[in-house]
This record gives sequence, C-alpha cells and structure tokens, in this order.
Amino acid sequence: MFRYYLKLGTRSLRRNPFLTALMVLILGFGVGTSMTAYTVMHVLGGDPMPHKSSQLFVPQLDNGPLEGYTPGDDPDHQLSYIDTMNLLKDGKGKDRVAIYGLSPTIDSGRADLPPFFEPGLATTASFFRMFDVPFLHGNAWDEAADRDGAFVVVISRELSERLYGDTDPTGRSLRIDDRDYRVSGVIDHWRPVPKFYRILGGGGAISDAEDLFVPFRNAIAREWNNNGWTNCSGGRNEPGFAGFLKAECNWIQYWVELPDAAAVAEYRDYLSAYFAEQKKLGRMPRPENFALRNLREWLAFNEVVDSDTRLQTWIAFGFLLVCLVNVIGLLLAKFTARGGEIGVRRALGATRMEIVRQYLVETVVIGAIGGVVGLGLSYFGLAIVDKYGLGEAGIARMDVPLLAATVALAVVSAVLAGLLPTWRAAQVMPAMQLKSQ
Amino acid sequence: MLQMRKLSKVYRTHLIETHALRGFDIHVREGEFVAVTGPSGSGKTTFLNIAGLLEEFTDGEYLIDGVPVRGLDDNARSRLRNEKIGFIFQGFNMIPDLNLFDNVDVPLRYRGFKAPERKARIEHALERVGLASRMKHYPAELSGGQQQRVAIARALAGDPRLLLADEPTGNLDSAMARGVMELLEEINAQGTTIVMVTHDPELAQRAQRNVHIIDGQVSDLEHVTPLARVAARGAEAAVA
Repeated sequence: MFRYYLKLGTRSLRRNPFLTALMVLILGFGVGTSMTAYTVMHVLGGDPMPHKSSQLFVPQLDNGPLEGYTPGDDPDHQLSYIDTMNLLKDGKGKDRVAIYGLSPTIDSGRADLPPFFEPGLATTASFFRMFDVPFLHGNAWDEAADRDGAFVVVISRELSERLYGDTDPTGRSLRIDDRDYRVSGVIDHWRPVPKFYRILGGGGAISDAEDLFVPFRNAIAREWNNNGWTNCSGGRNEPGFAGFLKAECNWIQYWVELPDAAAVAEYRDYLSAYFAEQKKLGRMPRPENFALRNLREWLAFNEVVDSDTRLQTWIAFGFLLVCLVNVIGLLLAKFTARGGEIGVRRALGATRMEIVRQYLVETVVIGAIGGVVGLGLSYFGLAIVDKYGLGEAGIARMDVPLLAATVALAVVSAVLAGLLPTWRAAQVMPAMQLKSQ
Repeated sequence: MLQMRKLSKVYRTHLIETHALRGFDIHVREGEFVAVTGPSGSGKTTFLNIAGLLEEFTDGEYLIDGVPVRGLDDNARSRLRNEKIGFIFQGFNMIPDLNLFDNVDVPLRYRGFKAPERKARIEHALERVGLASRMKHYPAELSGGQQQRVAIARALAGDPRLLLADEPTGNLDSAMARGVMELLEEINAQGTTIVMVTHDPELAQRAQRNVHIIDGQVSDLEHVTPLARVAARGAEAAVA
C-alpha cells in the first residue's frame, strides 16, 4: 500500500501546486535556517582530531602575583618562556610542542614578487607529528635542528605555489627577515577546524593555518617577537628581548601528548612537583594552581562555541517551530478540503489507520521535497556565513551525516506537522461527508 | 442478510436530543430488492448509514449476514463494509483526480487483492456497466448517468452481498435514471441484495418490497405495494 499512497500523495500535491510550493518553501526555510545555524555550531564544536583528542593536553600554570589573586581563578591560557623551556627540558609526556606566532618578512628575490609579511609559527619538530600535519614534499626538520635552532623552514602548499609554482622547493633557500632558510618540507592542505592548536592570538578558532614554520629556538635566537597574545605580570629586571624571556610573561602555547590515564596522572604529579619547585626558587607566589585540559576540554574552556552561537541555533530551531505551525495550518486546510474523498474511502472500506497512513505518506513526500529545498537553502546560508560571518570560504561545510540529518529533520518535521491534520482527517465522519457531497 | 431489532439512534447535543430511529425493526432477506421510502427527516438516511456501518446506533441489535455488529471496532467494521457492502450515493461520490480504473480500484486496494486480480475485477465491473472503453477517463469527462454507473461498478467490483443505494437516481434525468434502475434490477437478478432509499414512488414500485419510514419507525405499510400505499395515503387524506 505504501507505493499506492506514494502515488496518491504525489498526485494530490500536483493537484494544488501553489499550496504544495508554499508548504515546501515554508518547511525548506525552517529546515535551511536551523541547519545553517546548527552546521556552524557543529563545525565550531567539532573534534578536529577525534582519534587523538583525548591524548593531547594543554598544561596551564598560575605564575601570577599575589595581588589580585582570587582563589578558584583559572591559570593563564599560555605559558611563560621560563616554564616552556623547563617543561621541554624535563621531557615529560610522550611528546611536547611549544608554539608562538611570527610575522616575518619573506623576500623571494623575484622582481615580480616584492617582499611581504607572512604569518608563521615558531614551533618544535614534534608539532608536525603530534598534530598529524600532512606533507606534500619533504618533511619536518629533525630534533637536531630543534636543538640547534637551525635555519630551516617548513612552508604551506599555498606559500610554496606562490613562491615556486608547482615545483618541489625542498632543499631550496628561502630568505626570511634577511637570513636564508633551507626549505625542509611543504605541508599539504591542512586546516583543522576549529584551529585548536592556537586559539589565542592566531586569528581565532576559524582561521587559516599558518604558512611558515621555523624551529622554536631559531625564532628565539633571532629575537622574533610574539605575533599574538601576551600577558605579563610584574616588571622586567633586564631590558630588551632577553628581559622579556626572563619576565613572567605568558605568550607560548604548550601542548603535551599523554597516551593514557596513567600518563595523565603522572603528568599532574609532575606539574604539582614543578609548581612546588618553582615556588622554592621564588616564583609562583600564589597557592598551587595549575590545570591540565585535553583537546575537547580546551575547546570548551575557550568557549569556541560561544553562547551567541548557541543562542542563534536555538532561535533558528524556534523559527523552524513557527514554520511547522504554519505548515500544520496549511495541511489542516488541505486535508479538511478533502473530507469528501476521505468519506468515500471510509465507506469503501478504509480503516482510520489506512487514512492515517495515506496522509502521513503525503506529508512525508512534502517533507522530503522540503528537505531538498532545505538543503539548497542551507548551502546558500552557509555560503553567506562563510562570506560574511566567518570570513573564511569553505569552513562551514556540511558533511554526509549533516546532509542526511537535514533531510531527516525535514521529514520528521513534516510528519510532526502532519500528525494533527492526519488525525483530524481520520476522524472524519463518512456519513456526514457523503451526504454533503 | 440484514436484520435490525428494536434499533434506536439518538443524536444528542448539550441542548437537545433527537431520536432519528426508534424501535426500528427490519429484516431484509438474501436476494431481496427493498425500497425504503419516507418523508424528508424520517430517518431513511440514518437507517442506511447504520446499515452500511457508517454510523453507530444507540440501542438495539443489528446483524449483518448473521454477524452482530454492536461493539465491533473500526477495523472490523471497515472490513465488513469492504467485503460485504457496496455503496451507491446520490452524488456519485467519485474521487475526481482518479480515473475510472483507479476509482473502481479503491475498495479492492483495501481488500488486499493482488494487482492482476484487481485489474480483472475492475475491467469486469466496468464492462458490466458498459464503460470498459472509458476506464482511463476522469469523472469530470462523464455524464451524471455514466458517473453513477461507475459508482455501481465500484460498488460491485468487490462482489458485495449487499448493495446500499441512497437516492441513486436523485441527480439524474429520467432517461438516465431508468438506465441506472435497470442496471440495479439486473444486479439484483444476479443475486445481490439491494436496499435503496428513494423519494420516487415509481422507482420504489419497481422494488420487490417496500419499507416506509415515518418518524424513525417502520410504518405498517411495509408489506403493501407502493401503488396501494399511494392509494391508501389518498384515502387517509380524504378521511382527514
């Protein structure tokens, strides 16, 4: 009977194309709007490294002064240079990454390409393996280069194409802030969303990955200032960059890989011991205060999905509800107008359930078409969000589960909207209808 | 085939109570052609609706083909209606966006017949009413008489034992009405029990038996022939 009802449903919808189009559009708008908002929230709230997110941790240490201290405050989001170097040196955890932002000048030496600033990162070789960065050519620098602060660079595919076209630049020289760097590798398209590894000072959770990566120690040796967020407490005892490095300034993002619960517990003990040790050395005046958050906790802590985004999503689903109420009204009108047909069918042997099935199938057809329209409108909405909201093309994209969810939402919405009209249709008194025909 | 004993039907609103049928007794035997007459508002249609299981009754007993219908749920009533009863309405009640084939197909779908059997039954039913060549036409393309023939084909397609007709010629001119009546007589001759509500004494006269309803009760003219009843009415009027 399903095919029969499907045939009847499509025929009924064709009979009144204006009403059908109105219902489909209302449903499509509701679904499109809500799925656009949901997709943005989903993208922002997604797990960029689902296979590893429970193993990647950000340690936070409270090195602030006693003045202004409030118990329960969270430690700063970033670490000082002193703590970073200590943690790197102690080598706890399976792997460790230190990151800070740069904006050096690149000189291609080409007349047609004047020198330009390029956003980059000073980091450790472990960055590439910890975050599964894909390489198009070559590879990351080695541990020795890390240790020595070698003049090596990894560049993005986009920068490579800009500088060298389609050729493999591995081994070639690239002039950065008047010094030559050897290109050790080119990373392929890589754009984790959200940009979890550098939420602070890196252009936000929805921004491009950097185009240039140099060894951490090299950047320090070259006294490259942080191009990002820096939070200092207390004064400096020495002037210049050397003084900055010794100051209680937090500007380095630090990550540690801890493969299991035992490693996490061990690392907490280590941080506690480290805190106590630094206290003895005259630092960390506040009571012991440190945190260790895994990747997902880190995203939540930084409110990557902020309350505005959540509110927008709720409002969008509220709009869908309003749309559904409208569709209910239209379906009621449509089904009421078909009381005569319902009466005839009941007289000819249709049970109430058969009437319910017939009309529900019709609402499913409306829902399916509404879903397709909703998909189109979602794509349109996401394009607008990309262009004017997030500022980055192609970030707010639907994956297959979201596509399926859009159509399913439309169908479920249509069925929900159809429940009351269908129930009313099934309650039609055939005798009354037949006499009034 | 159809038996009602002390049957009553009361319509209630919060203000008034209307007795559409009261102490209604009737027994229609297998193969009979019964005409039901009576003035407007006498309860003819209510009787037919209850007979066709389209309405519940308030009290009494109703057996169709020996099966008591009181207390049957919607599924059982719908099945009985689908298998044993065919309907013909004054207004034809075609489904306008289905062609003749699909209109006749409706009760067969609910009966659960497979496609080949449905096709055979539809073609046979439409042939029987002389419209086999127009099965792809839509109701709006037919005259009233032809639409009523399709309604008869639809009613007959499932081989019902009982055919309930509510003013089947009420919307037809006399020539078409005659044709439909002849068709009903032919169907009855082939064994189908027919109960026909009509205002038309001439049509009622052609039935084997007449039942007259007044104020929701079967009058004592049940076994009188229609012409005699007309005469009797005249005599009653003269006495009054």
